[in-house]
Amino acid sequence: MATVMAATAAERAVLEEEFRWLLHDEVHAVLRQLQDILKEASLRFTLPGSGTEGPTKQENFILGSCGTDQVKGVLTLQGDALSQADVNLKMPRNNQLLHFAFREDKQWKLQQIQDARNHVSQAIYLLANRDESYQFRTGAEVLKLMDAVMLQLTRARNRLTTPATLTLPEIAASGLTRMFAPTLPSDLLVNVYINLNKLCLTVYQLHTLQPNSTKNFRPAGGAVLHSPGAMFEWGTQRLEVSHVHKVESVIPWLNDALVFFTVSLQLCQQLKDKISVFSSYWSCRPF
Amino acid sequence: MLTHSSILATEIPWIKELHGLQPMGLQDSFTMRSSLQAVALWGKKAPPHSITAIMITDDQQMIVTGSQEGQLCLWNLSSELKISAKELLFGHSASVMCLARARDFSKQPFVVSAAENGEMCVWNVTNGQCVEKAILPYRHTAICYYHCSARMTEGWLLCCGEYQDVLIIDAKSLVIIHTFVSSQSPDWINCICIVHSMTIQEDSLLAVSVAGELKVWDLSSSINSIQEKQDVYEKESKFLDSLNCRAIRFCTYTERLLLVVFSKCWKVYDYCDFSLLWTEVSGSGQFFAGGEVLAAHRIIIWTEDGHSYIYQLLNRWAQMETAYKTFSGLSKSIYPADGTLLKETIYPHLLCSTSVQENKSLPFVMGYINERKEPFYKILFSGEVSGRITLWHIPDVPVSKFDGSPREIPITTTWTLQDNFDKHSTTSQTISDYFSGFKDENETVVVTSSEYVPSLDKLICGCEDGTIFITQALNAAKAGLLEGGSLLKGSLPQKVLKGHHHSVTSLLYPHGLSSKLDQSWLVSGDQDSWVILWNIFTEEILHKFFLQAGLVTSLLMSPENFKLRSYQVICCVCSDHSVALLHLEGRRCLLSARKHLFPVRMIKWHPVENFLVVGCADDSVYIWEIETGTLERHETGERAKIILNCCDDSQLPKPESILPVASETHKHKSVEQRSSSLSQFGPIPCPGLQVESSCKVADAKSFSGPFNVLLVKTKWSNIGFHILLFDLESLLELLLPTPIRDVDPSNSFYCSEILRRAKSTVEKTTLTLKRNKTVCGPLSTEVHAKPVGESPAQGDNTIKLSEENDGVKKQKKIKSFKKMHPKQSRKVDANLTIDTAKLLLSCLLPWGVDKELDNLCIKHLNILKLQGPVSLGLAANEDHFSLMLPGWDLYNTEMKKDYSKVNLFSRKVLDLSDKYTSTFPNHSGMPKGLENNSDSLQESNTIVYLLSKLFLVNKLVNMPLELAYGMDSAFKIESVHNKMKSPGNDILNISSFYSYLRNGKSESHLPEADVSLLKLISCWRDQSVQVTEAIQAVLLAEVQKHMKTLRKTPVNSEPESVAKNGDYEMMQMLPKIEWAKEPELQCTTDTFPPQTPVSSVKHDSNSNSANFQDTEDMPDRCVLEESESPGKRKHHLWIEKVCSCKLC
Repeated sequence: MATVMAATAAERAVLEEEFRWLLHDEVHAVLRQLQDILKEASLRFTLPGSGTEGPTKQENFILGSCGTDQVKGVLTLQGDALSQADVNLKMPRNNQLLHFAFREDKQWKLQQIQDARNHVSQAIYLLANRDESYQFRTGAEVLKLMDAVMLQLTRARNRLTTPATLTLPEIAASGLTRMFAPTLPSDLLVNVYINLNKLCLTVYQLHTLQPNSTKNFRPAGGAVLHSPGAMFEWGTQRLEVSHVHKVESVIPWLNDALVFFTVSLQLCQQLKDKISVFSSYWSCRPF
Repeated sequence: MLTHSSILATEIPWIKELHGLQPMGLQDSFTMRSSLQAVALWGKKAPPHSITAIMITDDQQMIVTGSQEGQLCLWNLSSELKISAKELLFGHSASVMCLARARDFSKQPFVVSAAENGEMCVWNVTNGQCVEKAILPYRHTAICYYHCSARMTEGWLLCCGEYQDVLIIDAKSLVIIHTFVSSQSPDWINCICIVHSMTIQEDSLLAVSVAGELKVWDLSSSINSIQEKQDVYEKESKFLDSLNCRAIRFCTYTERLLLVVFSKCWKVYDYCDFSLLWTEVSGSGQFFAGGEVLAAHRIIIWTEDGHSYIYQLLNRWAQMETAYKTFSGLSKSIYPADGTLLKETIYPHLLCSTSVQENKSLPFVMGYINERKEPFYKILFSGEVSGRITLWHIPDVPVSKFDGSPREIPITTTWTLQDNFDKHSTTSQTISDYFSGFKDENETVVVTSSEYVPSLDKLICGCEDGTIFITQALNAAKAGLLEGGSLLKGSLPQKVLKGHHHSVTSLLYPHGLSSKLDQSWLVSGDQDSWVILWNIFTEEILHKFFLQAGLVTSLLMSPENFKLRSYQVICCVCSDHSVALLHLEGRRCLLSARKHLFPVRMIKWHPVENFLVVGCADDSVYIWEIETGTLERHETGERAKIILNCCDDSQLPKPESILPVASETHKHKSVEQRSSSLSQFGPIPCPGLQVESSCKVADAKSFSGPFNVLLVKTKWSNIGFHILLFDLESLLELLLPTPIRDVDPSNSFYCSEILRRAKSTVEKTTLTLKRNKTVCGPLSTEVHAKPVGESPAQGDNTIKLSEENDGVKKQKKIKSFKKMHPKQSRKVDANLTIDTAKLLLSCLLPWGVDKELDNLCIKHLNILKLQGPVSLGLAANEDHFSLMLPGWDLYNTEMKKDYSKVNLFSRKVLDLSDKYTSTFPNHSGMPKGLENNSDSLQESNTIVYLLSKLFLVNKLVNMPLELAYGMDSAFKIESVHNKMKSPGNDILNISSFYSYLRNGKSESHLPEADVSLLKLISCWRDQSVQVTEAIQAVLLAEVQKHMKTLRKTPVNSEPESVAKNGDYEMMQMLPKIEWAKEPELQCTTDTFPPQTPVSSVKHDSNSNSANFQDTEDMPDRCVLEESESPGKRKHHLWIEKVCSCKLC
């Protein structure tokens, strides 16, 4: 059987000491660092109720695209809600200028931001009740905590990086189209979403398909951005997307938040890796 | 359309995709095998159960806990408040978030559980079965059951969690009905509570959002609008000015106060106008976790670290008025019942507190259940991450000490899973206990990995100390479980492979996955990054690979159609997130991919371009070129998802594909494919990280033989235990069929898949056809008509024909497959099968009910008695199974007194067994032939008979309810019959169905006994008798009946029927019975089946048939060839093979 465990008694003692240090000191140091980063991230989302009260500040974003200037928009973001929107659309055919804005009384909640913010605060909450006074006793405990935190952070990040894929009828039915004054013309659809660090506005121009049209009608599925030629059925009509305009603007604080997410995820994973180094020496312990 | 299909997925076993992606499409074949019998070998250490949710059932007889590992545990709670763990339920692949009642508990004891990844299951907690399951893209943190009997048929589950507003889910079907939406600041909801107000006769839903907004929805008055899918907005909304709400409770005693617990404070509001009455802030470092109203003006608050505090809410004014009434609550007179707005001023007075000695492992999940009727208690309960449950019995009138300081309420009970294991250690054996030849007696071997090789019946276990044991699995199991089996211990043939110096973390038997690889190869990986290729027959090391990476977490093999220079490669995933590819033939390492920052979650293969696609835990994707070892691409986010997703649906390689281009062109398409309706509501769960299977239950899917051994390991733990799985259906298949049918489970994945599919589609026809063919080779065409006619109830000729053709076709397929692997069949030798059957019977039989019966069983069935009660389990389907825990049988103290060493599943078994016996007609016992033959032929015959009975019971009890309702009994039986696609049931039902179907549905011909029997079993199902209970009851009754006849008739009764060589008539009528004896032939003569003396066979089947059918109007049939010499018989088999091929 010879020497099954490579570690001698002395080695084991050293390892044990090192592991204790890891659990008692290093873990807390990492957790504190994590908390700091996440608090910084959550500040970016301007959590209501935390710290300074009063109306959350408004930010204006001018949306544009490098290519054409057919659509111009100014969106006003207040926390996780769009409070104002001004969209100018130059119709490609007749160069007629269309202008529409949000109704005064309405706000549009950007669910992606809200969800990301909530996930971050969940992560902070998970960390908050494990302060220095709390003693971790097993590595598994740390791993479980890290797994839970990472789960929240990954979701937070994924909410921002993966916008919802909507079908055209879903966009048509969404409340966003009813937010505008004057009301949107029936041949226009509007969608707003977050993609990574960018606030995106898409405007779809539609034209009706004649019932006797020879075109093979195939309704399009869900997509973040539909391309011209996508078809759908709305009410009794069959419609086709003729033009798509996408304009976007970088939200600087979302960029920060995403960086914070990535950094903290890596911190978590590194802590997990440190713990599992020891677990492999100690697999006999209830871990 | 290019790469779309050309990447092959290999999933790492412990990961299961949310979308039910199966690596090789095994699922359909598996669902067919409805339930597997399992026996758990728990070992000394309990599996970890970090409690994340806990509840006590309304009848206060059971505690249900959910764990971070994903299991549910059922604990018996005695009337003296003693806890004992009973059963562990496997079904979730992620940690359990919440538990709730899912029905009116007095009618149906159902509990719903919701897991972290969106899985929801409804469990019947009395029998541990999963009633309904669903995967929704929502993560619930709290669920409330609501049922308004006047206006709803089915109850609702009101759910909140990591999505906006409140979801309404149908409690029965788990389908989303609608949502309660909020018009003002919609946000995630933290807590909900249902308020039944007696005074205004209206139910309301109270909810607090994460931002601290209290919302009120009308519940009872909006039922209709909800059912008509109209939007229902909140009636009131108020900002509470605190974050992290943990509980909201309404005081039903005063109908006035509202308790809201936040993590840093708790508040009391006046329900009439939501005015704040009191705020109590927590001490430093203390987080409140919940609370409940105990009585009028008495509340209990508990914390994350397991403390609780009971407060009396005092009214200042009232106290001044009547100072002596301080602790008796406030009289009604002070609070006008008419609800006039008398501003209350309250302040809390701490009466009592509870605490736990060691509050080290956070967090505690606690709850409080109130007394309902007299014998019930007010119980405060808590569950810890360490798996400990603690109960406090809260007195009806908690009072403080005389000096006014708070009184400490002592702990009433505390219990852990490990306590169960310690108390009943004798019942918890492990397979590894019997690797003791090289060990001291007191030193136990910790098995860190294991692999079962069905074709060799070898169990390969990698141990913590680096040794690898190879042993005969069945014998090891016997040695562990059965009395006298321990004698086998010393003589167990085992091999020890020594080569690793650290614990063996992963094993792979390549031949099990691809038959082209050498049968002697075994690959093992250890903690120190060594991978060793062994020859298991010679026990020598063929090659040692050193990966210079972390612990080898898993070994995978490339799929069959992925070939690198016509060889398959082994993929090693290491704990340092690296992946290495090994080439076994060439003994070299092909690729070492080390750039991954996060754990590897998925490996996919691109056969054409020789790409290895690695999916990581952070949802990024790395594409490696295998030939050059270079990183071709690295993608994150949406594009990574597309790359991984686009290979899901097909595995057919298309030569012209180029990965980057394809992913580009298909971006649009795959995006479209995603279900879009979900995105309207809450967040779409991200399959990548969220799906972390907590244990390797998924492994059960690859199980195809009649017997398997699995090592179940839970997350965050190295404690594993083995479970033995028995598949009644395939056991019977193996015991009954011809040599041709005998499929080697170790066949290549692909081929056996074809075979299985073929089987499942027209299994019955194929089976019967084949059976007939082999029995009476040349005459097969004649026999066809009969079995086919027997299966469909309609008896329509055209259908018969088509089915027949179909069957022939399928058979051809199987045959051609057989040709490809002519040597592979007959690997599972008959002895092994019959031994498996015996072990199963040993485990199922309630020993000790009747000593004499035990002895008779040991003597006549040649099975061994159990050492102690075994932990039986039931694998209901691919990933839901329940396992009894050690000591499950001893919670009932009176049962302990009655029987020692009994394996009785529950008291009910005896009653059920008696009922079952009473349905036997007086005259008929067991087949008479079985009485006077005590040789092994008869023994195995009996075993087959018993197993087939069990199989029928199993099927009947498991049958979905819809099938059972709305049919008259005859039809019911019929449909059941048709549903069952196994030869087993044919034997059972011969008497009833044969005559029944052929006599043109005239019910009068049905033997009454059988109908009543089937009725009885169907009735059991309706009474939610557990499958195991039913099986055990039937087994007991059958064995009793059988053994009774043995007792009556002495063994000397002359073998009169032996001479009846030519009793053809009977046999033709029962071709199946012929089949029953086939395995016996194999068993009795180890060398060559057909050499068995024909006479004994004759006798046997004759007696069976005599008993089973009514001979009135049997049409005359072809004459069987049984009387021919063995040599000729063999010849026929051969002819038959050829024939069938020519025919088709």
